[in-house]
Amino acid sequence: MNSQDFIRQSTGFYIPKSRAQTIWRIIHTDPPLLVGIIVLCAFGLFVLYSASDGDQIMVQRQALIMLAGLVLMFIVSQFSPHFFRRWAPSLYGVGLALLILVLFIGVEDNGARSWLDLPGLPSFQPSETLKIVVPLLMAWYLASRPLPPRFKHLFWSAIMILIPAALIVVQNDTGTAIMVAMSGVFVVLLAGIRWRIVFTGIFALLLASPSWYLFLAQDHQKNRILTFFDPYRDPTGAGYNIIQSQIAIGSGGVYGKGYGNGAQSHLDFIPESNTDFILAVLAEEFGLLGVLFLISLYLFVLVRGFYITYAAKDMFSRLLAGSITLTFFFYVFINMAMVSGLVPVIGLPLPLVSRGGTAILTLFIGFGLLMSIHTHGRVRPN
Amino acid sequence: MAGKWQLKDHEAEQRLFNRRLVTAAALIVLLFGSLVAKLFNLQVTQHEYLSARSDGNRLHSQYVPPARGLIFDRKGELLADNQPIFNLTVVREQVDDMDATLDYLSSLIRLTEDDIEQFNSRMQRNRVPFSSVPLRYVLSNEEKSRIAVNSHLLPGIAIESQFVRQYPLGSLTAHAIGYVSEINRQELDSLSDEDRENYGGTNHIGKTGIERTYEDILHGTVGYEIVEKNNRGQVMRYLDRTDPVAGKNITLHMHAELQRAAEDALGEMRGAVVAIEPSTGGILAMVSKPGFDPNLFVTGISSKDYSVLVTDEINTPLFDRTTNPYPPGSTIKPFLGLGGLHHEFIDYEFTINDPGYFRLPGVSYRWGDWTLRTQIGGGHEHTDLQKAIFQSCNTFFFDLGNRMGIDTIHGFMSRFGFGDNFAADISYARTGVLPSREWKMESRGEPWYPGDTINSSIGQGYMWATPLQLATAASIIANKGNVIEPRMLKAVEGQPYAPVFENKVPDVTLNDLDYWRYIEEAMTMVVHRPYSDQFRDYGTAYPEIAQKDPEMSYKLAGKSGTAQAVGISQDILSSDDIMVSDLNRDHALFIAFAPAMNAHIAPQIALAVFVENGESGGGAAGPIAKQLTDKYLLDILQIDFEALEDVVPPLEPETSALVSEADE
Repeated sequence: MNSQDFIRQSTGFYIPKSRAQTIWRIIHTDPPLLVGIIVLCAFGLFVLYSASDGDQIMVQRQALIMLAGLVLMFIVSQFSPHFFRRWAPSLYGVGLALLILVLFIGVEDNGARSWLDLPGLPSFQPSETLKIVVPLLMAWYLASRPLPPRFKHLFWSAIMILIPAALIVVQNDTGTAIMVAMSGVFVVLLAGIRWRIVFTGIFALLLASPSWYLFLAQDHQKNRILTFFDPYRDPTGAGYNIIQSQIAIGSGGVYGKGYGNGAQSHLDFIPESNTDFILAVLAEEFGLLGVLFLISLYLFVLVRGFYITYAAKDMFSRLLAGSITLTFFFYVFINMAMVSGLVPVIGLPLPLVSRGGTAILTLFIGFGLLMSIHTHGRVRPN
Repeated sequence: MAGKWQLKDHEAEQRLFNRRLVTAAALIVLLFGSLVAKLFNLQVTQHEYLSARSDGNRLHSQYVPPARGLIFDRKGELLADNQPIFNLTVVREQVDDMDATLDYLSSLIRLTEDDIEQFNSRMQRNRVPFSSVPLRYVLSNEEKSRIAVNSHLLPGIAIESQFVRQYPLGSLTAHAIGYVSEINRQELDSLSDEDRENYGGTNHIGKTGIERTYEDILHGTVGYEIVEKNNRGQVMRYLDRTDPVAGKNITLHMHAELQRAAEDALGEMRGAVVAIEPSTGGILAMVSKPGFDPNLFVTGISSKDYSVLVTDEINTPLFDRTTNPYPPGSTIKPFLGLGGLHHEFIDYEFTINDPGYFRLPGVSYRWGDWTLRTQIGGGHEHTDLQKAIFQSCNTFFFDLGNRMGIDTIHGFMSRFGFGDNFAADISYARTGVLPSREWKMESRGEPWYPGDTINSSIGQGYMWATPLQLATAASIIANKGNVIEPRMLKAVEGQPYAPVFENKVPDVTLNDLDYWRYIEEAMTMVVHRPYSDQFRDYGTAYPEIAQKDPEMSYKLAGKSGTAQAVGISQDILSSDDIMVSDLNRDHALFIAFAPAMNAHIAPQIALAVFVENGESGGGAAGPIAKQLTDKYLLDILQIDFEALEDVVPPLEPETSALVSEADE
């Protein structure tokens, strides 16, 4: 921990505060971020209502989860970043323990054995929490090291990222594993890892990918990659989802077919229309304009996230806030790019729009951390 | 600058961090930019193409089969109806695991291996992708609800209602009306492209009888509808529709009541009845016994039921006895006699002294008059043509046939439809055989021998004719030579059906019109000439017909025939044109028309009765003919013959004198 760091920042960014701002600060909430999140949630529920064919119960359940998320966010934001920094290693340890527990008593759903059904708790996916815990640990680890990080720090960082990622891969949930790894990698990137190392790493990955494809990749992974390059090699099988999704998006045109009029979704041509492929429903019914509206909502949240990151008072907070913001973006982008056929299909939901449980709560924990970072530093007295 | 320093340089670190933040922001803009570009490409550049694809997904053009035309008898009784049934259908493209689905289905409803086998053969037919194919016909209400309850587990499986043929009279009309059944591959292939389109929604096609002959009229024109279907193939909305044009209703000459009477009259006997209205050629009744239930074929006969029908070699229920040939026996004698008169080999005065057998000059073999020889061992003594007919004297016709020669016989008999199919709309009827030198050389590779002519003269040997041909020939005599092709179809949609039948068959003209009267008189004697003091001077059918009904109010002209079912050469048995019963007793035949020799009214009905292994034409077939003419003239037409004499002026006054003479 570094108190000089904190003092310098607090004096450098002093802004006169109104009474209202003071109230928000006392309850540790960032109004712009809150507004952005609520508008996104509302729009998400609106789209889900159509995507689920007017399933009110599903929409109500989603709204309740979002409400729970807001409460969770509020609770998280009450703790100062220093609290999380202090507890980062312990949380990481708990996270790993849960992942190991899943290996033994995990419950399978939708092909991935990633659920934990503990008595007295609602069933949840421990792997989701790692999306928060890993960047926490990385920020904790690198913030106290000289930046850009040295090679041995990078080495340990890699170990710390790869252990949970590997455990999640074993659960057969590659998508989440990638996200967990990325949330850690973002910290390393923001910490100033030399580009030379980054590009070497990317280059090495590219070189290794053929042998991965040949020797390690599972059939369904190969399929997804082949399908990405040519969806029509198996139009009714592996390529079906992406073909139908592109038809839905394209047939929406600029203005869309109108709310509730998406033929592709309402006639069940879009698979997973409530979850991973919900963007196709949105694009079909609201057209390009609808998608641009959603992107701008996301951008609003992202810009606020960047601002919070930029304004953060210490390196731990910066790294953490930056990683959370970039992970959020990564989620949004990967889902949209996958649904529109820009990248191969990876099973990831569209944040705050797709139907979900643990994944939504994880997002709100992230937002809570952002708010904590933004509202604690400045009010902390000398 | 970080170098070996362990101390943190906060300023530098923050600058580094901020640079990274800027880089990240730039990357985000870049990536979102590429995403928007991709969306633009899909939603603007490819919009039209993908819209069309979207419509192609959900919009399906499907056929709406036309309702098949109904078939009525001449009195408006329904002979072929359409009834709704519910079928289980499958859209193969929407079933993930066919075997599992079939397993599951068979746990819900009755699904035999037969059903699955037939379904597979339907699947192999040329079919439109995503079209539904019937898996099981005629679901019960309980089966329907079981499927409906579990429909979410059965993607691609649906219940569709359909109208199918139903034959209210069942086996009574099985042969004449025929039946519809599922279109098979060959039938589909034989259709023109246009017709194949027209049969797009049709599962059934006429296979036999009227259903086949008038398929074009009965089928109608297919309609179309544009429907919106969801991913599971369920129809969500109907968007556009071109109505089908129903097939036309047709009316037959057939009289169901007479048809029923004919079936009853045949009773348990195997045989056939064909009755024709001479003035129109309309077929009043056409019965082949035993029949079968044509309804079985409509929704796909089970192989068990089918094997029962085809393995019965004695009753051969699927075999249409009305249109398949048998030796006509003595029923051809009136025609041969007319030929003799017309070609002047004999006249009214000509007689032979019948010794009971016939012998060709220089040939020791005797052609016996087998009926008499076995019974009394003698001949008919002095016999003229009329006696030769009413006593059915073989010797007379051996002699006549021998003198006429096969060429003359062939030439004359062919004008009555022997060896030919005169029927206007029964194209499937066989032609039988009217032998000739050319025919024998062609089919046997042998020259014609004089002995062949002798056999042919009494309707044996190579001579083969169908009951339909015999009824037709009888109606030509009833019409005094006026040939009207026999036909089934009377009206289409209530309008008389009068296609331009090319008058392919010229009327039979004789040198002397009185020959018609003479033969009619002879045929009337067959039925009405009573016993007298003279030896063998009564009609062969008198004991069974006129004697049993002394009050008969009209005259029936007839000719019995008893044809040998055995003693036929192997050559004939192997001929393509001939089917031979496997039993040995003689076949009984009877041709007739009525009322005969009536000055007030022309003959109303001509018929042929055939009883397989019935032994005696006069005994077995004659009474059936009488029953049917009674039924038709007295019951159905309700002709009051006694009143007629007072009301209706005589048609041909000059012929009436001869009736009383023959009647004594």
